[in-house]
Amino acid sequence: MLQAFWNWFDPTAWYPLGRVVGGTIYPGLMATSGVIYNILHALHLPVDIRNICVLLAPGFSALTAWSTYMFTKEMKDESAGLLAAAFIGIVPGYISRSVAGSYDNEAIAIFLLMFTFFCWIKALKTGSAFFGTLAALFYFYMVAAWGGYAFITNMIPLHSLVLIIMGRFSSRLYVAYSSWYAVGTLSSMQVPFVGFQPVSTSEHMAALGVFGLLQIIAFAELVRSHLSSKQFQTLLLASVIGLGVLGALGFVGLTYKGWIAPWTGRFYSLWDTGYAKKYIPIIASVSEHQPTAWPSFFMDLHFLIFLFPAGVVMCFNKLRDEHIFVILYAVVASYFAGVMVRLMLTLTPVVCVAAAIAFSSLLDTYIDPIEPESIVEGQPEGDVAGAVDSKKAKKTAPQPTSTALGDIVSKFSSSSKPSRPHGIFGLNTRLIVILNAIGMLIFFVLHCTWVTSNAYSSPSVVLASSNPDGSQHIIDDFREAYYWLRQNTPENAVVMSWWDYGYQIAGMADRPTLVDNNTWNNTHIATVGKAMSSTEEVAYPILRKHDVDYVLIIFGGLLGYSGDDINKFLWMVRIAQGVWPDEIQEPNYFTRQGEYRVDEAAPPTMKNSLMYKMSYYRFSELFGGNQAMDRVRSQQMPKTGPTLDYLDEAFTSENWIVRIYQVKKEDLLGRDLKTANAFAQGKKRKRTKPPVRRRAV
Amino acid sequence: MLLLPLLALISLPLALALSNDQTQEQLVKLAEAGNGIIKVDDRTFDLLTAPKRDWSVTIVFTALDPRRKCGPCKEFQPSYNTVAKAWTKVPTTERNKHFFAIVDFDESMTVFQKLGLQSAPVVHVYPALEGPHKPASGRTSHITYDFGNGYDAEPLAEQLSQHTPVPIPYSPPIDWTKYGTFLGIALIAVTTLRFISPVLKSRWTWAIITILTTLIMTSGYMFTRIRGVPYSGGGGQWIAGGYQNQYGQETQVIAMIYGLLGSAFLMLTMVTPYQTSPGRQKAQIWLWNIVIFIMFSVLISIFRVKNRGYPFKLLL
Repeated sequence: MLQAFWNWFDPTAWYPLGRVVGGTIYPGLMATSGVIYNILHALHLPVDIRNICVLLAPGFSALTAWSTYMFTKEMKDESAGLLAAAFIGIVPGYISRSVAGSYDNEAIAIFLLMFTFFCWIKALKTGSAFFGTLAALFYFYMVAAWGGYAFITNMIPLHSLVLIIMGRFSSRLYVAYSSWYAVGTLSSMQVPFVGFQPVSTSEHMAALGVFGLLQIIAFAELVRSHLSSKQFQTLLLASVIGLGVLGALGFVGLTYKGWIAPWTGRFYSLWDTGYAKKYIPIIASVSEHQPTAWPSFFMDLHFLIFLFPAGVVMCFNKLRDEHIFVILYAVVASYFAGVMVRLMLTLTPVVCVAAAIAFSSLLDTYIDPIEPESIVEGQPEGDVAGAVDSKKAKKTAPQPTSTALGDIVSKFSSSSKPSRPHGIFGLNTRLIVILNAIGMLIFFVLHCTWVTSNAYSSPSVVLASSNPDGSQHIIDDFREAYYWLRQNTPENAVVMSWWDYGYQIAGMADRPTLVDNNTWNNTHIATVGKAMSSTEEVAYPILRKHDVDYVLIIFGGLLGYSGDDINKFLWMVRIAQGVWPDEIQEPNYFTRQGEYRVDEAAPPTMKNSLMYKMSYYRFSELFGGNQAMDRVRSQQMPKTGPTLDYLDEAFTSENWIVRIYQVKKEDLLGRDLKTANAFAQGKKRKRTKPPVRRRAV
Repeated sequence: MLLLPLLALISLPLALALSNDQTQEQLVKLAEAGNGIIKVDDRTFDLLTAPKRDWSVTIVFTALDPRRKCGPCKEFQPSYNTVAKAWTKVPTTERNKHFFAIVDFDESMTVFQKLGLQSAPVVHVYPALEGPHKPASGRTSHITYDFGNGYDAEPLAEQLSQHTPVPIPYSPPIDWTKYGTFLGIALIAVTTLRFISPVLKSRWTWAIITILTTLIMTSGYMFTRIRGVPYSGGGGQWIAGGYQNQYGQETQVIAMIYGLLGSAFLMLTMVTPYQTSPGRQKAQIWLWNIVIFIMFSVLISIFRVKNRGYPFKLLL
């Protein structure tokens, strides 16, 4: 069965190239659902595979909550763990990937991420090769499931390196890292899509480098424990440093020689943020790869976002080995989440963990019923004051803030001394803090419920809007159009669309597509981009060469659906320009004033492009003589719309969101389609006067 | 220097009659006189873009006169000059097959009118129409340079190199100030290592660095960096409309609010319990709780500005 999966060739995707599915995906998600399916059937529970797929994400989010609990327990205690688990259970940043029906790599990947980190912390704490190997096994699962595994590949070495620099090298670290790296790397190379990358690409080199460094240090420690001569130790130190430098030079040399591939685009764009826009527009074009503005952070994390730094400070206060991990994770993930919206997903767990540490420390402090012995000012320290005394003291006027602040500063500088007596006096102080905390938790729950129901609960293929009277109006254009394709076109009819809809067409209409959401072939996508952004005459040979029968576009101008193809059009132009800089130029699609317009003032290149023509074909007729209006771009369309010679309108959905055009076959008489069309409309080939008859027709 | 274009202008009727080679020679002379850049007036423009050219031309249309108040023109001009200067280092055989020229609005308005240009700066590349350097795609119309990568010399040289006979040998100038400051700081750090090492070894130094980093990053700093958004909108408006947008000032305000809220929690957990006087402790607890409540309300109210549909609110 496994063999069949690896060899699965899908001829309908990436037409006419086809796609080796086994070698071009991370198989973890499919394998997981397959295993669950087989287990359930072995138990004689006849569950449909689709139900498993739908419920996989919620199921795994339960496991995520559990692994977050285990992880946080290692950081502080059970109560913090429970809070962290509760936080990650409902926080919108993770719910976006854990709602039922979100059948995505990330659905299982976050659980694997957290569990691998938990195993790593456990291995580091205990020095157990068992947990190290367990971390490696879950790392392997992660490699098989999500491309984000590189985050683990670099986080664990980073943690180890910082520990070494801080002088915290120990045999526990050595055992944990070596077992994780050796087993993890070897097993990750078993995934066909990954192959030899762990030993040949730069993303994985940090892990290898730290592995080598650890061996050198461990060796040096061993030799030192057996020697006493001082000179020899100096020599050893020199040789160790020499070896390290040599190793680093070796890396540089190998990279220079091309033995080690440089960073792949996706990772490189994380460091040099301008890189993607310039060289790989396909990565920059994905909305998930845009930088994150602050409202997204707040929307996805709510009050955890400001508890998070507080929790990190508390980690600094204790600063055990595992706390350093949380600190590093916090810094790295908050940078990544700022650069790319989708990496908010990797930030969410650490925010939950750190916030839980902060919140449970707060609750620990204020729920603890033991009152300290108060020292009333001006009295010797030995004076024991009871609860009554302290209450009296509290009734005195509140202190001026300045002295309070002075106190805080002096307390803060000495707060790391654990021996000092501390605690909270009185009941009302406890009550106000706890009430405030509970209020915040309730607010958090309300916020999460609202965000989940508003932003993450509706499917993307069925849109919902509300009528003026408040009732819900369902816009079902996508399914309508896909079903039309399924019913009315031959099974081998090739459909061209922008890559966003590739999987949907393949899945719901069951027709071959030119490009789909697996964007590995930039040239092929650029071909589609070129066809869409060129004139009909240029596009037609491209369409015919690729056997395209139907062209599907998304048009939101009638309804005001802003995620349509005209809004994505510039990315098509940019991607096509990357491959054919001579033929497609982005500035030609702007007006002279540099505006992006679709109305009368649109530049001719724009007006003649296939995408423009298909979008606005017969659009103005819909308004029955009134001024046609594009509701997305709020521009008034010209009275006479574009004409099409090489394509026929085949289908337009109820709200015009999906429009499908049929590509005409070559003219039987060998004329080019433009003249044939003109002839059919009764125009003479050579005309001296403006066509009068056209008005009559 | 000014004489030469004038000379060209006078001799133009003659020049038109000249053969291709002679026109080119003339252009070479003009280029040499202008330090690699041909100053174009109405007539030389026709010379440069002669229909039978076996050379290619890069022309910048600009308005450098202070009266025109064209900021981008001034910003772009040094980059253009350095790239044109770099081209003069190319061996003569290739160099004379590509020219750099400049059209200033105030000196040759008609060229602007003829091309229908209404903005500046604009860079056009006119490909060769004959000879060995004719583009393989057979393109005859001009190419407009895309300013999407800014006004810097590096992207300009890189993009123009696609149209020149040989790539422009442009290398960015070494940023001595950057290296200098870096070296200076490194030197100071090494010499004062003995004094600053307690600071470097203190966990709280690192804690401050870490906290500042996370606060800045979670307040959308990278968004402002990558998108290059302005610090604030005009007229005292500092909150950008829309959920997926923000100004630079928002980052600061939000980071400050987050920092204040976070430190209020820290104070409650790590400082007030160590307060030995009940009265002071009570005052502090009240103070920090009020700070949390008010700042959280402020945060929510700012968020409501960004996300109009948000249904919850606290005080404000």
